[in-house]
Amino acid sequence: MRGSFAGNLLALIAVFAPLSLLSFGGSNSVIADIAHQSVEVQRWTSQREFADLFALSRAAPGPGSMLCALIGWKVAGLTGAVVATVAFYMPASLLLFVVAKIWSRWQGARWHQAVERGMAPIAAGLFLSGGVAVLRVAPAGLVAWIAAIVAAGLLLYWPKLHPVPLLVASGAIFELVDILGGAP
Amino acid sequence: MQVDDGEKRAVAEVTLPALFLAFFWLGCTSFGGGTGGWVYREMVQRRGWIDERAFLAEMALGQSLPGANGIKMSVLAGRRLKGGIGAFTAPFALLLGPFVIILLVGAAYSRIAGYRAVHVVLDGVAAAVVGLSFATGISAIAKGAADPSAIAIAAATVFCVGVLGWPMLPVMLGLAPISIGIAWARGRR
Repeated sequence: MRGSFAGNLLALIAVFAPLSLLSFGGSNSVIADIAHQSVEVQRWTSQREFADLFALSRAAPGPGSMLCALIGWKVAGLTGAVVATVAFYMPASLLLFVVAKIWSRWQGARWHQAVERGMAPIAAGLFLSGGVAVLRVAPAGLVAWIAAIVAAGLLLYWPKLHPVPLLVASGAIFELVDILGGAP
Repeated sequence: MQVDDGEKRAVAEVTLPALFLAFFWLGCTSFGGGTGGWVYREMVQRRGWIDERAFLAEMALGQSLPGANGIKMSVLAGRRLKGGIGAFTAPFALLLGPFVIILLVGAAYSRIAGYRAVHVVLDGVAAAVVGLSFATGISAIAKGAADPSAIAIAAATVFCVGVLGWPMLPVMLGLAPISIGIAWARGRR
């Protein structure tokens, strides 16, 4: 389906900007909505195309939500990619900026310190939870758990370790295990 | 130059081009999602630009708001280091590389998607990224929250969100008052 160029850009903004402000807990929480809008409502992509674009956005560097750039690109070329990306990241970023600015105005107050100290363990717990959630649905099962725990140990032991060699090694080991037929 | 509104936290002197380059490179190398973990590791641990505990608290604040986590972390880090211009520069630099790369890869993908090895290797990369999340969480507990009540709160968070799979927002709303109350009662820095 092809509307006018400007119409397509407006449609991209109308879809991605509201989702930006609904993506509580990170952009993963709106992937389902993006899929619904993209495949059924706007008919920007087929189901199959969407699955491919999604896998691709996970494989490439950067936030997983670069998916929106790919969809924008499909809809309206380079301009569409830029518009979709800005529409998806800008609203939430502005909101956060304003909140953080107000927040830091109270720096030093006793309740501010209590909130800081109180929120830190929750933030830490959320990082751990994100990892657990991914592993629970990982296709490689036990192998993925072992790889994740070993990687965590190495990263903790060497705080200055750059993660990319680790990622490459993990990818290579998975391929090796797969060739040897060990992957469940 | 630090953030405009008088923050006295330990923040390194970083030039805007240095900030841009750090985040540009971070964007190009943060494979497998989990960009928030990369930003944290790079800013707090590898470069030591931002004080860990203050950043953690802001991050928890950020996590209660909508938005992609990596982008939110870059907005916060950029703001802390360079104020408003930093808060714009960091996420822009973070997205620039991945934006170009994903469009290039998008053009090539249909040719390589059929190979099983592509998917297996990506699973391996994803597992190591999970390791990064674990390392970030554990180091955050060790440095920013190393007392029994804080460890209990962190464990409760993992249990509710990670193990039981409850939505994050209500869990945060339930645990935050308890955790803040404990910190208030202790009343020391």
